[in-house]
Amino acid sequence: MSATAAKTETPLQVIDNATCTFCGCVCDDIQLHHDEMRIHKAKKACVLGTAWFLNHTAEKKYPAALIDGKEATVDEAIEETARLLHEADMPLIYGMSNTTCEAQKECAAMADSLGGLLDSHTSL
Amino acid sequence: MGGKVTCTLGEVKQRADFIIYWGGNPAECHPRHFTKYTLMQKSKFLPKGRKDRTMVLVDIRETKSVKASDIFLQVRPGKDFELITILRALVKEQHVTDAQIAETGITREVLDDLVARMKAAKFGCMFFGMGLSMTRGKHMNSAALLTLAAEMNAFTKFVAMPMRGHGNVTGADVIMRWQTGFPFGISFNRGYPRYNPGEFSTVDVLVRGDCDAAFIIGADPGGTMPQPAIDHLKRIPTIVLDPHITHTSKLARVHITTAAQGIAAPGTAYRMDEIPMPLKPALKSPYPSDEEVVRRINEAIAKKPFWIPEGSMPQMLTEQV
Repeated sequence: MSATAAKTETPLQVIDNATCTFCGCVCDDIQLHHDEMRIHKAKKACVLGTAWFLNHTAEKKYPAALIDGKEATVDEAIEETARLLHEADMPLIYGMSNTTCEAQKECAAMADSLGGLLDSHTSL
Repeated sequence: MGGKVTCTLGEVKQRADFIIYWGGNPAECHPRHFTKYTLMQKSKFLPKGRKDRTMVLVDIRETKSVKASDIFLQVRPGKDFELITILRALVKEQHVTDAQIAETGITREVLDDLVARMKAAKFGCMFFGMGLSMTRGKHMNSAALLTLAAEMNAFTKFVAMPMRGHGNVTGADVIMRWQTGFPFGISFNRGYPRYNPGEFSTVDVLVRGDCDAAFIIGADPGGTMPQPAIDHLKRIPTIVLDPHITHTSKLARVHITTAAQGIAAPGTAYRMDEIPMPLKPALKSPYPSDEEVVRRINEAIAKKPFWIPEGSMPQMLTEQV
């Protein structure tokens, strides 16, 4: 109860013309009301967009990384990833739909440096 | 634009008086598509908004989008390619037999009416979804529809645009085209990019068991792919980058949690008409961004010997001359 009371006391920060990346429409007119931990309101967003914005929080809900199901640091996971991909003869780089263009460019570079396969969510 | 006859959604909003949705359900999958771009908006060229526009829906079943449409064509499942080919013939006034038309599940009167309306339109736009591009015929269906759009330009202005789902898939196409020259299904195993959907596309690669490691970013094949593909992901070392623990994370060797794009990670995303949009993240995530993690993995890979047995980078052509 006290937590919710504290939240209503501090005014929410507002971001105008935020971009929603849930579907291919990429609506760029959303108004977000947030308190740095979670988004409380997504004005102009559709049903799907509202769910997308309100379901993500800045809480640490999951471990930073998992190796073989056990918790690990990001540094260890990066080293292990590089080792597994480098050892493979034909690694596949796949997905790239829910990520930024900047990360996608790095993925293209990764497939090139590994001599592997590169494919997007387009070919499901 | 990859050779497509297409335009931006802004042009659709301002000018398109004839809209066809083929194999998609925008009412449920792209809820603001009608209101923001295709149907409801009024413009200088379409002052009466919805009344100035005609909407045709082509699908195999009645979805929620039917209510928004003026004409609904229920095509027999798997007969999209045949229907597009018949339309291409009718547009050019070539002979089509009754048996060929009957196969698609639509009558000749309806098709003649559709062709007349298409030719009478000032600006036609065809949006096609996964119901066309992911069913029997796959990319050949998309190619046929894009050809129909191109051929319609002998009569009037006509364009086609894919209805992309899932955030930034359009960006993935654009980035791969920019970096490699091809939009998807690429292999670097000869040291240069080669393109062959069917051979290098993920489902086929996984079902055949061609790859011996998988790096999955911003996708959840464990929830969407056929079982033999998932089984192969279980057999090989799989690495997942995702803001959540997904189905794929559970069968993966390595999972790294990253910040969600657009909510906690900045960057760029492409709209379905290939317009780049800057993201405005609201939250500060305790996790690193995808970009940072992939860049650090690349740096770690760069420290290891190159994948060619001699361990050297291939020579540039200019150095060989």
